[in-house]
Amino acid sequence: MKRTPRNTSPPNWILNFFRWFCHPGYVEDIEGDLLERFGTRSQNGKAAGILLVIDVLKLLRPGIIKPFEGTQKLNNYGMFKNYFKTSFRNLKKSPLFSAINIIGLGISMSLGLLMIVFLSEIYSFDDFHVQKDKIYRVNTKYSFGEGSQEENLHATSSIYIGNQIKEQIPGVENLLILRQDMIADLSIDDNAIAITGFYASNTFFDVFDFKLIKGNPKTALSEPNGIVLTESTAKKLFGDMDPIGKTVTVDRNENFQTGTIRGVIEDPPIKSHLQFETLVSLKTLDKLAKGNEVNFRNDPSDCWFNHVYLVLSESAQKDQVSSMLENTNLVPPWGGKITHFLQPLDEIVTSKDWYYGLSGPTFLPNKIHTMIGLTFIVLLSACFNYTNLSLARALRRSKEVAIRKITGATRIQVFYQFIVESVLMSMIALVIGIVLFFIVRPEFLSLPNPTYRGYEMFLLEINYFQLGYFLLFAIGVGCIAGLIPALLLSKIKVGIIHSDAGKLRLFSNIRFRHALVVIQFAMSIGLIMSAVLVHKQYEFATNYDKGFSTQNIVNINMNRNYVDLDVLENEYAKIPEIIGTSRFAYVLGEGWSGHGGVVMTADRRDTIEHINNYIDEKYLDMHGFKVLAGSGFKSSIKKGEKQKNVIVNEEFLKTLNLGSPEEAIGKSVWIKEHGDDNKLIITGVVKNFVNVSLMEAKERPFIFLKYLPGESSYLAVNYGDNDVHTVMEKLEATNNKFDPLHSFDASVYDDGIAKTYEKHMTTYTIISFLAFLAISVSTLGMLGMAVFTIESRMKEISIRKVLGAGVSSLMTLLSHNFLVTVVVAGVIAIPTTLYIVNNKLLNEFKYRADVGLIDIFSGFIIVLLIGILTIGWQIREAALANPSDKLRSE
Amino acid sequence: MKEHLGEFEELILLLIMTLKEEAYGLSIRRTLKDQANRTVTIGAVHGTLNRLENKGFVESNLSDPTELRGGRRKRLFTITTSGKVALQKSKDVKVSLWGQIPDLAINKS
Repeated sequence: MKRTPRNTSPPNWILNFFRWFCHPGYVEDIEGDLLERFGTRSQNGKAAGILLVIDVLKLLRPGIIKPFEGTQKLNNYGMFKNYFKTSFRNLKKSPLFSAINIIGLGISMSLGLLMIVFLSEIYSFDDFHVQKDKIYRVNTKYSFGEGSQEENLHATSSIYIGNQIKEQIPGVENLLILRQDMIADLSIDDNAIAITGFYASNTFFDVFDFKLIKGNPKTALSEPNGIVLTESTAKKLFGDMDPIGKTVTVDRNENFQTGTIRGVIEDPPIKSHLQFETLVSLKTLDKLAKGNEVNFRNDPSDCWFNHVYLVLSESAQKDQVSSMLENTNLVPPWGGKITHFLQPLDEIVTSKDWYYGLSGPTFLPNKIHTMIGLTFIVLLSACFNYTNLSLARALRRSKEVAIRKITGATRIQVFYQFIVESVLMSMIALVIGIVLFFIVRPEFLSLPNPTYRGYEMFLLEINYFQLGYFLLFAIGVGCIAGLIPALLLSKIKVGIIHSDAGKLRLFSNIRFRHALVVIQFAMSIGLIMSAVLVHKQYEFATNYDKGFSTQNIVNINMNRNYVDLDVLENEYAKIPEIIGTSRFAYVLGEGWSGHGGVVMTADRRDTIEHINNYIDEKYLDMHGFKVLAGSGFKSSIKKGEKQKNVIVNEEFLKTLNLGSPEEAIGKSVWIKEHGDDNKLIITGVVKNFVNVSLMEAKERPFIFLKYLPGESSYLAVNYGDNDVHTVMEKLEATNNKFDPLHSFDASVYDDGIAKTYEKHMTTYTIISFLAFLAISVSTLGMLGMAVFTIESRMKEISIRKVLGAGVSSLMTLLSHNFLVTVVVAGVIAIPTTLYIVNNKLLNEFKYRADVGLIDIFSGFIIVLLIGILTIGWQIREAALANPSDKLRSE
Repeated sequence: MKEHLGEFEELILLLIMTLKEEAYGLSIRRTLKDQANRTVTIGAVHGTLNRLENKGFVESNLSDPTELRGGRRKRLFTITTSGKVALQKSKDVKVSLWGQIPDLAINKS
């Protein structure tokens, strides 16, 4: 071959690329081929460069490309393969410890998973609205004015302020008004249903993305008397018929008599902060406004029934609106001060404050934080188990680490190995966790929501997205659990292999391990103790002497009934089991602070706030109120008639300085009612009683007025010693006979009282569950440690025994450590828990159960007992074993 | 271990035998083009050569670097005994098959 100097050189980049992907064994050879070809081509005047590139690209084929295994640079596949293999072997080699770790982690992980699903549901509320980032609700703050620090937050505001914002601030895209209290009975042909919902302005579908199944979103709510039903209500009323355009008769609503169905909307998703059964066009109310100069549309103090939503075009708008709202203060005719503020849509459900007038579920963030915190505690406890057992057993792994290091492993590689091991374990635990999750899920869903407003909030469903989170979570847990063992074990020096393993420096971490165990025990003790204390308070609250009797009384809510109440009351009274009936306005002791007002002394010098209730003449007797002076009402009043008499409690007399009960009878006070001052004569005085719940003081001025027809109404029936189920059935049957449209809404008084403290019952259930988890996890850990300690001290025990130690002295020796740990844990846990329970869990209660010594030491004793049982049989076995068995083998 | 010999592999083995001392990737490819009228990529040739080497049919040695190849060494291939045995076997099978076909049958077609 003729030799000519090459006048062109091949493009280097493509050769570099080739060298990168090619199997290192073939690089030189093939590259030679390529260059030879390139040389020939360039001599022949061909486009050698481009052809070379094509040649190289054609070389991208299996057999030429570097394999993924066996070489260093591409990845660490081989290394990880080895890690997994050794990890599996390790897990298999000590099944007891693996089981303890995996079960413990699995148990606590189920809780973590629950938490993940729970949180993702809480924070995905209202996500289905396309404009969710631009929607704001206008809220109202009502300050009670001079001298009173009290403020109420309301989720409602006035239509007036909504319109003002829309007019004054450019860039407000949309304004939506929802007026509450749309209550009506709809009927068509023979079918009728009772519904509740909103009067909605026609911008509803421009702002929210509730899906309209039938009808036109533009016009559905634009005409007066237009009705949009949810899918399920439409189904109830119309069955399979197409409801669009049908005219229905409307009862029990003063604003319209007939309506036309203009749309069917999907039932609001559970994850919506708004819940309703129907929407009626806001224009329906125009008649109400007509003829009144001041009406709900332009009265700035009509703040309590309208949800006002704004869609702002950009975030800067928010500040403009806010500053405008800050400068708008309004003094309503009855005094105090009204201010408004904006709340973004995504903060509505998890708002940290308590709002009045909400139309959907909320969940207070401090509850969320508590739950996260508690989950964390249980999870940490399980991680501690792993850390603890791994460290204790470090000795057994030290040789392995040394050999790894001798064969060239770096510290970081050993570190990774241990992390991989713990992650692997937590992955296995994840499977157990998921199984447990499905077991506890229904239990959790059936718990009354701690911030329950009568709405379902959670589904706790797992989707693929969450499975991803679960995996990340498991990896995270694995890393945390394995971190400290990995750090310490990877520190082991190669020299360990020659020296006595007992001298291993690792044992200096014994103090650290003790600390972990103390924390674990302390958490178990604390959780058990909290559960006991909360439960005690719950029992205390439900059995508290309220100052009146709730025995054998059923309260029937008559507020929704359209049928004449006198008719119903008579019919109920006819039921043979019913001993007596009594009508009143508000149920006492169930947490409803009810109706209040202002009372002035006869000389109009002193004014006090009070709570009131409207009762008929039978009420006081039926509930066994203790009348100190005077008597109950003797007669009832008719509609339009003025109240003349009042029955007050002791505190009322004390606050207004009206003297002793006997002296007070016949004295008069002024009460403001429906805008008029009214002079009332005190005809009776009752002893103080629990009026709201045990969370409020009994000592609050309280007055009873005569029951007024048209006010809120409940009916109390006394069923004597008869069976409550039969009575309820008969009552319901009567209700269904005379008022089939409205469901029977009644509860046994004692149940109602219990329900008031239901939130605390939920807290109790959750804490008990957590306590159970925590104690299981730490028991597992304890068992593991006991087995290990005894195993490694077997020789010592045997020698002691040979030298004459008895079973009891050995037991003392071996359990000494445990006892010290539990005592230390108790010393830490008991005061801390007492503080937390008193100041965080039960701080709402004004009246508290006495805490006894047994309650305080409950957690301590339970942990001690379980511990002694767990460790006891291990120690006993060791102490009873024949020492020669252990010593002979060496 | 009995290794199967593919059609292309057989061809390459034969070429290595024909090329004797000068059997390396590019020369094999070139001869393949000249003698069998088949154009294949460099990668295909090298892939097959590697496979043959794994099967133990060929051996390779690196030559001295030449200037023509930018100082890179060639990988020269030689056939091993087992390679020859495999070739022989393959040939025998074919010859015996050919022997079983009557001349008439071929002429007819």
